[in-house]
Amino acid sequence: MTVTCPDLSVEIAGLHLQNPVMSASGTFGYGVEYEPYLDLSQLGAIVTKAVTLEPREGNPQPRVRETPAGMLNAIGLQNPGAEVFIDDKLPALQRFGVPVIVNISGRSVEEFARLAEMLSIDGVDALEVNISCPNVQEEGMTFGVDCDMTGRLTEAVCAATDLPVIVKLSPNVTDITVIARAAEQAGADALSLINTLLGMSIDVERRLPHLGNVTGGLSGPAVRPVAVRMIYEVARAVDLPLIGMGGVMNAGDALELILAGATGVAVGTANFVEPAAMHQVIDGIAAYCRRHDVARIADLVGAVAADQA
Amino acid sequence: MPRATAILRHREEVVSGHYLLTLDCPEVAKAAQPGQFVHLRIGDGTDPLLRRPFSILLAQPETGEVQILVRTVGRGTGIIATHDEGVAYDLLGPLGNGWEAPAGGEDVVLVAGGIGVAPLIFFADGLRLMERQPYVRSIFGAANQEALVCWTEFAARCDEFTAVTEDGSAGETGLVTDVLAPELERDRPQHVYACGPDGMLAAVARICRDAGVPCYVSMEQWMGCGVGACLGCAVPASAGGYVRVCADGPVFDATEIDWERMKRR
Repeated sequence: MTVTCPDLSVEIAGLHLQNPVMSASGTFGYGVEYEPYLDLSQLGAIVTKAVTLEPREGNPQPRVRETPAGMLNAIGLQNPGAEVFIDDKLPALQRFGVPVIVNISGRSVEEFARLAEMLSIDGVDALEVNISCPNVQEEGMTFGVDCDMTGRLTEAVCAATDLPVIVKLSPNVTDITVIARAAEQAGADALSLINTLLGMSIDVERRLPHLGNVTGGLSGPAVRPVAVRMIYEVARAVDLPLIGMGGVMNAGDALELILAGATGVAVGTANFVEPAAMHQVIDGIAAYCRRHDVARIADLVGAVAADQA
Repeated sequence: MPRATAILRHREEVVSGHYLLTLDCPEVAKAAQPGQFVHLRIGDGTDPLLRRPFSILLAQPETGEVQILVRTVGRGTGIIATHDEGVAYDLLGPLGNGWEAPAGGEDVVLVAGGIGVAPLIFFADGLRLMERQPYVRSIFGAANQEALVCWTEFAARCDEFTAVTEDGSAGETGLVTDVLAPELERDRPQHVYACGPDGMLAAVARICRDAGVPCYVSMEQWMGCGVGACLGCAVPASAGGYVRVCADGPVFDATEIDWERMKRR
């Protein structure tokens, strides 16, 4: 039998996605910035830039720097705060008819819980809990590199909302499966991974760091093998759906993450390079399914034959 | 959609390390306003990965041609410098706000530093086409004579032109600001428009503020997306927080920028 119209839909934490492809937080603004370049209604979901309780100014410039097949960024969670997000940004996201996943970040367990409560409103379909931002002091990654903190934070957010809770993991840890299990045991409905890898680059002529923040998060194709490996490990360690991200530029890259164990795939840095990258990934996945007679993309999740390597 | 394919028609090394590219791109040529930029992808590989922003030096709707000035500073611009005629670029643009033209008939001063001359050539060109042409004085500064790139194109579009070089190899010796301050005193213009390195823009902004002359600067910053989403190109705003060079600029009223917080570049 030849598959002509593969089923690309997936279920993640109770959300029905028409396809597995979504934006990676922080690379897609609040969606509308990319409206001139692609039809957002075709996406699997839209994941917003991180929202914090109070407005954040962000880090001093320069904030981005290209590296081989990648980039460093240290934006510093610049955002207008939860109230402005709810009033000004969220309504515009409803027009596209796809699930809206709001990424939240905070300085304390209480702040995360308060945000989760505030955002448990119509128009928000799930929360992605950013326990892994490498570019801000005293928050973000501080939670994501510690099992107990990850557990306490996840528990508090789950208690504060009825929305599906997706915990976004940091790759800057010794064993990501330990953190993944802590989030699972605390009640997470899904996990997303990986956030950026902490990195740094130096202008040797001037003997200065390239970034105003000195260090930043590395993303892009350069990090993809790390993402594939971590998704593969976490998929075997937990019983939760995973959203994979890390240097996906095209359908082949997305399929790599899916075969490693990701149910959903987020596209990040590629949006900067090719504003229609997510469309190309979706079309490419469909073409792959037709070529390989795959009736349902969900059948490929974690289907890498590692035992036959 | 602000997106097009541009074919490289001509590449000229105007001075060492500076290339004037003439692109065939009717969509951008038609839509471009002085001060806007294009975000150009170099090849379809992953290294270099990000697009590179370039100010538009001239856009000619009649011929469909767009010119940009490229200085080779790194890997991406180094690759562009090797491209032959016929190469196709995928580009986003025209992007950004551009300069708002004055009402007409005013006295204006344009201040360019190095490669920052590019958008001012386009702006000066537009001023000459106005029904009530402003009187345009321009000051162009660079390290040395060679770095006064495309100065003839700039000078030809202005009523008065002063070159300034740090080493004195052409024009006055010193910095553009050494010429600007007395120039504002001699004959106070209604507006100043500037593009160049951040240090120069900060000094021009200060001089204009002290002289009470409105000043509009076009800024440059490393960019990610170019469309306002990633917040990578943010610069400090005097109102607090940051503004995006790509989407809120690249042209700003100089009083909108917090020059004290502008670090380094």
